[in-house]
Amino acid sequence: MRLHIKVFLWFWLGVVVVSGTLVGLTELTSSRAQDDRLWREKYGPRVDLWARQETHILRTKGPAALEEYVGSFQADPGVLNYMFDGGGREVFDRQAPPSVAAIVGALMQADGWTQRVDPVERIIGERVIDANGNPYVVVVDFPQPSVLSRPLFELLSADFSGRPTRASAVRLAAVVAVAGILCFVLARHIAAPIDRLRLATRKIAHAQLGTRIERDVLNRGDELAALGHDFNGMADRIEHLLTAQRQLLSDVSHALRSPLARLNLALGLARRHSVAGVGEHLDRIELETERLNTLIGQLLAMARVDSGVGLERRSLFDVAALVDEVAMDADYEARARGCAVVVSGERNCLATGAADLIRGAVENVVRNAVRHTADGTRVEVSLERCEAVSGSTVVIAVRDHGPGVPEKIVPRLFVPFYRGPHSDKNPNGTGLGLAITRRTFEVHGGTVTAANAEGGGFVVSLVLPLHVEDGVLQQQADTRPTTEEHGNAITAA
Amino acid sequence: MDDDTELCQLLSEYLLPEGYDVEAVHSGTEGVERALSGDHALVVLDVMLPDVRGFEVLRQLRAHSRMPVLMLTARGNEQDRILGLEMGADDYLPKPFNPRELCARIEAILRRSNGGSGIDVRVPGDLVVDDVSINKASRMVRRGGETIELTTVEFDLLETFLRNAGSVIARDELVRTVLNRPFSPFDRSIDTHVSNLRRKLGPGLDGLDRIKSLRGVGYQYTFHHPSGAGEQ
Repeated sequence: MRLHIKVFLWFWLGVVVVSGTLVGLTELTSSRAQDDRLWREKYGPRVDLWARQETHILRTKGPAALEEYVGSFQADPGVLNYMFDGGGREVFDRQAPPSVAAIVGALMQADGWTQRVDPVERIIGERVIDANGNPYVVVVDFPQPSVLSRPLFELLSADFSGRPTRASAVRLAAVVAVAGILCFVLARHIAAPIDRLRLATRKIAHAQLGTRIERDVLNRGDELAALGHDFNGMADRIEHLLTAQRQLLSDVSHALRSPLARLNLALGLARRHSVAGVGEHLDRIELETERLNTLIGQLLAMARVDSGVGLERRSLFDVAALVDEVAMDADYEARARGCAVVVSGERNCLATGAADLIRGAVENVVRNAVRHTADGTRVEVSLERCEAVSGSTVVIAVRDHGPGVPEKIVPRLFVPFYRGPHSDKNPNGTGLGLAITRRTFEVHGGTVTAANAEGGGFVVSLVLPLHVEDGVLQQQADTRPTTEEHGNAITAA
Repeated sequence: MDDDTELCQLLSEYLLPEGYDVEAVHSGTEGVERALSGDHALVVLDVMLPDVRGFEVLRQLRAHSRMPVLMLTARGNEQDRILGLEMGADDYLPKPFNPRELCARIEAILRRSNGGSGIDVRVPGDLVVDDVSINKASRMVRRGGETIELTTVEFDLLETFLRNAGSVIARDELVRTVLNRPFSPFDRSIDTHVSNLRRKLGPGLDGLDRIKSLRGVGYQYTFHHPSGAGEQ
């Protein structure tokens, strides 16, 4: 919408300035024409009078008297009075400008009493014959009228009729109104499809992969239509790639797990007919099968997070409720060792994302903490809301009271397949849990950091951006079916 | 119902000594046909079938029959699990599964659907709380005058709730009594069953949810009539 207003205002301003200039120029030209007419009516007869007077004075009283006479009205600034005799010589030997010379030349050729007017240069020349029959040419060069001064004067003077001003004001208003309507429509025409493209791009970014640009934009036949076509091509490709990726993941999962399922059954059958002494080997096979299965699951989870397949199931969910659920389940497990998981801090933190992925990520960290905390201690999970310029976030800090981790290997904890120094606590661990957690939070725009806590223990901080009020997301969250699962947690159905 | 013929063969071999007669079907369309024949007590249904998706099979089955269904889902796919339970599956097991666990689940489901559920059958008759009444013998559920269709698990869940109306039931207790299996944290199927039941029952007399979630504790069935729960 802002682009629309911007384009509209610029167009409008442009049209108003151009038409204003046009009206102004017309006004000036017409006032100049009027000025010319008035000047001619006023000075034509006067020059005639002066010319007679001057030739008379020159003939009867001589050049000195003439100079005095001419000087009397030449005191007006810019008015120059020239007088040429029949030979074309200036009486006072002054140099005449070319425009004056041109008129003199023309009048020299003429016969008898003739007046010539050059309205552009504001020169009036007259050929006179004195009583002795000698021809003279008198030329008066008037100053150019100031282009602006007159209309301004007209505008300001109250006693002027005011008619042309009002007419031009009405004209200007009409132009502004018509231009306004046209520019508004034009700006809409340009900005509306851009708005639609923007909306569609955002929808794609928020994993509504079926989004396409509608036909009416594509049928425009201009660059925006071409952009729309390209956009649709790109969206097709993304949708195809993600669908293929999802299919591949599901196929890989199926292909790897089917043999495991059969292996498990065969193992079950083998146990039935087992001879003494084989039992422990069968246990080993079962354990390794379980590890392999966990590993496959983790690898697929990693691939799913990385490819963004899981993000298609975005929904609005309460981070606090989700953390509660995870903590409650972990607490149940922790009780066996006399430990507890307690949650404190912020309530009601709405975020958008794939709730099941986030749940898995938080679960990884909380279960790790339960595993490593010392017997009889508490795992503390705290939620804190942080307001920043870039938007508000929630920090989920999970702190255990365990042995901690040597400082230099802390960064390596997030490297896939790296197993920490206390990995004996979780023999079935794959070394992928924290890597998955970090990737999950990163694709949601968050971060995961880990550090040894002050006073012993280890703390993992999970930062997740909170939900921002937004038309697209809100609408999406509203239209997606949601399932209420234990408490107020909302997960995608 | 599974397209993995070798797995079916192994499973038949495994379940036979447990006293089950197993018929393996490898396609969805044939599966629905066979399941509706009435010859079977329970269906083990794989989500991945070559012709129709397992969910579609479940939908077609549920349109005609309430026979118990145990779904085999891909592990790590929460959506499959939730969708399966929502569409009326009695339980689910992620693949690959431990055959002993499969046996235990099958046993639990059959025990429930044969009427011999984990809850003791007291006097046959109606159990009434506010406008909801259930009949244990006919397994009928009524709200006001209308009948509500519930799956076996949901019926057992509702019965447990009505018997303990007003008091808080822990999640692990619900899992043990209703699903007939030990509680394991991070298994959220009981929550899905509760939320399905809550949806089917609709709001209570005060317009709020009949089944309240108590975070960290469990669930509570609320009632309003001062005389509360009672058997007639």
